[in-house]
Amino acid sequence: MNMEVRNAQKSASQFDLSNGTPCTDQEPLLQIRDLRIEFRGQDETVVAVPGLSLDVMRGESYGLVGESGCGKSTTAMAILGYLGRTGAVTSGSIRFDGEELVGASPRQLRKVRGRRIAMVYQDPMSALNPVRTIGAQLAEVPHLHLGAGRAQALEMARAMLRDVRLPDAGDMLKRYPHQLSGGQQQRVVIAMALLARPSLLLLDEPTTGLDVTVEAAVLDLIAELRHRYQTSLLFISHNLGLIAESCDRLGIMYSGELVEEGATAEIFRRPRHPYTQGLIACIPDVESDKHSRSLAAIPGHIPLPHERPQGCLFGPRCDGFVAGSCDRVDLRSDEVEPGHQVKCARWRDFSRREEAAVIVPDRDRDAGDAICLTNVTKLYGTSRGRSLTANEAVSFSAKEGEIVALVGESGCGKSTLARIVTGLDQATSGEIRLADRNIAELQARARPKQLLQSVQMIFQNPDSTLNPSHSAAFSIRRSLIKFGIRKGKAAVDRRVRELLEMVRLNPDLAERKPEQLSGGQKQRIAIARAFAADPNLIVADEPVSALDVSVQAAVVTLLLDIQRANKTTMLFISHDLALVRHVADRVVVMYLGKVMEQGTVAEIFGGAAHPYTQALLSSIRSTDPDRSKAAHIQLQGEMPSPVDVPRGCRFATRCHRKLGDICDQEAPPQRRLSSSHEILCHIDPTATQTVSDGATLPLNITGEPAND
Amino acid sequence: MALESTAPLMNVAKRPARPKWRRIFRSKTALVGLFLVSFWVVAAVLAPILPLQSPTKPDVMAMANPFPSAVHWLGVDILGRDILARLIFGARTVLLVAPLSVAVAMIVGISMGMVAGYYGGRVDAVISRFSDIILAFPVLVLYVVLIANIGPSVINIVIATTIASAPGIGRITRGLVLGLKQQEYVAAARLRAESTLYIMLVELLPNCRGMLIVDGCLRIGYTIITIGILGFLGLGLPPPNPDWGGMVKESTTVLNVWPFMSVEPSIAIVSLVLGFNLLADGLREAWKP
Repeated sequence: MNMEVRNAQKSASQFDLSNGTPCTDQEPLLQIRDLRIEFRGQDETVVAVPGLSLDVMRGESYGLVGESGCGKSTTAMAILGYLGRTGAVTSGSIRFDGEELVGASPRQLRKVRGRRIAMVYQDPMSALNPVRTIGAQLAEVPHLHLGAGRAQALEMARAMLRDVRLPDAGDMLKRYPHQLSGGQQQRVVIAMALLARPSLLLLDEPTTGLDVTVEAAVLDLIAELRHRYQTSLLFISHNLGLIAESCDRLGIMYSGELVEEGATAEIFRRPRHPYTQGLIACIPDVESDKHSRSLAAIPGHIPLPHERPQGCLFGPRCDGFVAGSCDRVDLRSDEVEPGHQVKCARWRDFSRREEAAVIVPDRDRDAGDAICLTNVTKLYGTSRGRSLTANEAVSFSAKEGEIVALVGESGCGKSTLARIVTGLDQATSGEIRLADRNIAELQARARPKQLLQSVQMIFQNPDSTLNPSHSAAFSIRRSLIKFGIRKGKAAVDRRVRELLEMVRLNPDLAERKPEQLSGGQKQRIAIARAFAADPNLIVADEPVSALDVSVQAAVVTLLLDIQRANKTTMLFISHDLALVRHVADRVVVMYLGKVMEQGTVAEIFGGAAHPYTQALLSSIRSTDPDRSKAAHIQLQGEMPSPVDVPRGCRFATRCHRKLGDICDQEAPPQRRLSSSHEILCHIDPTATQTVSDGATLPLNITGEPAND
Repeated sequence: MALESTAPLMNVAKRPARPKWRRIFRSKTALVGLFLVSFWVVAAVLAPILPLQSPTKPDVMAMANPFPSAVHWLGVDILGRDILARLIFGARTVLLVAPLSVAVAMIVGISMGMVAGYYGGRVDAVISRFSDIILAFPVLVLYVVLIANIGPSVINIVIATTIASAPGIGRITRGLVLGLKQQEYVAAARLRAESTLYIMLVELLPNCRGMLIVDGCLRIGYTIITIGILGFLGLGLPPPNPDWGGMVKESTTVLNVWPFMSVEPSIAIVSLVLGFNLLADGLREAWKP
């Protein structure tokens, strides 16, 4: 039914993006030739980008994709001439609109920066000055670059805020950055970038820190503004999914060089370079779950600048590496067809990689509940006697060996719930039943050792999950000793090695300090630590969200393998719906502390009944260029504050299918659609199946009122 | 914003790194600091075996012409005692008392800050308000009141500096712990039933190390100044022990005639304090992530 709705609303703008292939006889707006960027350290020189060439045509949107450390941000900084004191372009050229930027004087660069090339950074909070109002910061742009007067500049700022669809532009001008949400801040940054009407806009991971629904809205906005202002885009991202819909052409960057370049649709349909193929294969796809496809990870890691091999840089990680042809020094890019270049000696021999076959067996359906949450509520007292509702009457259960995913945007209370289950925090009321015990109000300190051992956690941030002062294996060893899993130094050390091998790490890494490990390696150690205690339940709070896609795939596959082998129950918290589809058996969708919908993966992804779930699902970007692009459901406004929860349905303030006053006034009933599928909504889903989006729905409330 | 351009450099750190403290050899300021400090430390340690004049016995002959000479390289003081010898023997006291008082102050301060930061809430409020009261006191008045009442001795100087410095150290520790206790590795330690003391000493304290060592280094410098001031006020170590502050004071009366008698011990104080400050700067650089 979603497809019907989506097709009906098929947005024209989505298609505009892909037909913008520019004519080739035109001179490119940005022309980078053999760019070499070096950073000089005290002891050595690091070549971040050894030789990069690319063109961005007028009006084109060019996507630069690659994993972190591949030099994509460095390239953007080089275009703006911001390489800092240690970095320099040592050879090559960057021509912008016929003007050479390499070696340009600061005065020349100042004329270009901000005025003709603008940049949108990853973190909007650090791009805005916290002590000046939005208005002052925006007005500065036309004032400095276009010589506008004060009043005129403010007027332009106001108009631009309306263009980026910020509500109440006049009021917004007087606010300070901290008074805006992340999505609004990023809109302000985009407005600031566009104010001087630049001909080239550099976007460096502009939506990385944003929630999925906000991300979808920001991307749609960028696409729309780009057409209105005729701006060319250089879109930098590690996320192929974003790029697929937003860019005309793609460059796949690997360790400082382009390995493949071509039209977006062409690259997705027929990727030629094994790295591109690997990148596409390791993205979880909304269309498939873990029973139908396993994520193919790329082995190894991106070489550090000093480790670059001779010839093909991807060689050491490539299955098809052939000595003698792949390690030739004179390896050049080859033209697959006009406009599609690939830097691979053997591209003719590679067809698209076959996806791994079904490997995951269905779990045992008769298993008992491993953990059962009933009406779990968490209130935090704030000053002035008000309370912040982090969780309200959350109920769901997980069977033994099952993976239940908790999904929702930031602030929906999923992490608080994780902390309550593990005992890092305690519930205000409600019951969490685990092994015939109510653990809802038991903090870690009050829990007996055996209980602590049975619930372990995998944390989100690889940089803070390990203590930088201790060796990598330190906490694994402590866990084994504290829980008495192994006795005696030799036995503990042996087990540490086994666990490291289990997470496919070289046991010699055990004594390394965390700073010497990569993010993926640290997260593997964290997984080993969690499983060291031999737990029955693992709470994984966004375990891979901070990792690069190829690493993400490897870590997720590993986690699933270990989980299956140990029959561990897992609560998997994530905001990445495609990943959830791939990982989970059941899905619980939360919004503002309450469960909006829960069901099996098939029920949620096949027939989501709650408007919020539908909006979340529509925000997923697809990498398949052949699939019809559905319109994204754009949610209005921001998530309300958890101190001031709406009286009726929590989602009513942003709902695109609101029925009317009833949504604002009355708490929605809980409706049971099947033995495993439940929603909390006034809309009767049996009626929604056929009614198209936006139409008035017949009121037919049959369900029980929710208990809140 | 321009920070992003340094990203590729960070990769370098993934290789087996040298111990951080050894990085101070890269910094020129740190090397100067290290040189100044080691000069005084070596001189103080070797004082008994160096061919020096006696620091306490007056050379009556030299009093007629106290200026620097081949016998008395830095001249003699008002009572005819060799200034060089007094400076070097004075360094022994300073280099013993200053680090000792800072060490004691560190132990007290770190404990206070650790407890306040880790527990937070009411415990934090009590410790922090108490620290605020002490910090609001004019430090010099505090010293004078304390030492004048309990009498000058090494232990009393240690007590006085502890009272004056511990709240500051506590504040730094508290700030560090407030941030560190939110780290996921602390949560992981709680989930494996580690005791609070273990978390404080093994999970938190080592990560405060860098900042605290830098702060300690600076504090040794300040304490040397303090000891100098106390000596100048006559609250230093009782005579005839050589004391840098006391040496400045004894010769103020003849400042117009023989200024070198005051200037030389002043330079000694300056060089040692500067040495510790530069060393602290170098350590700060070395520990910078």
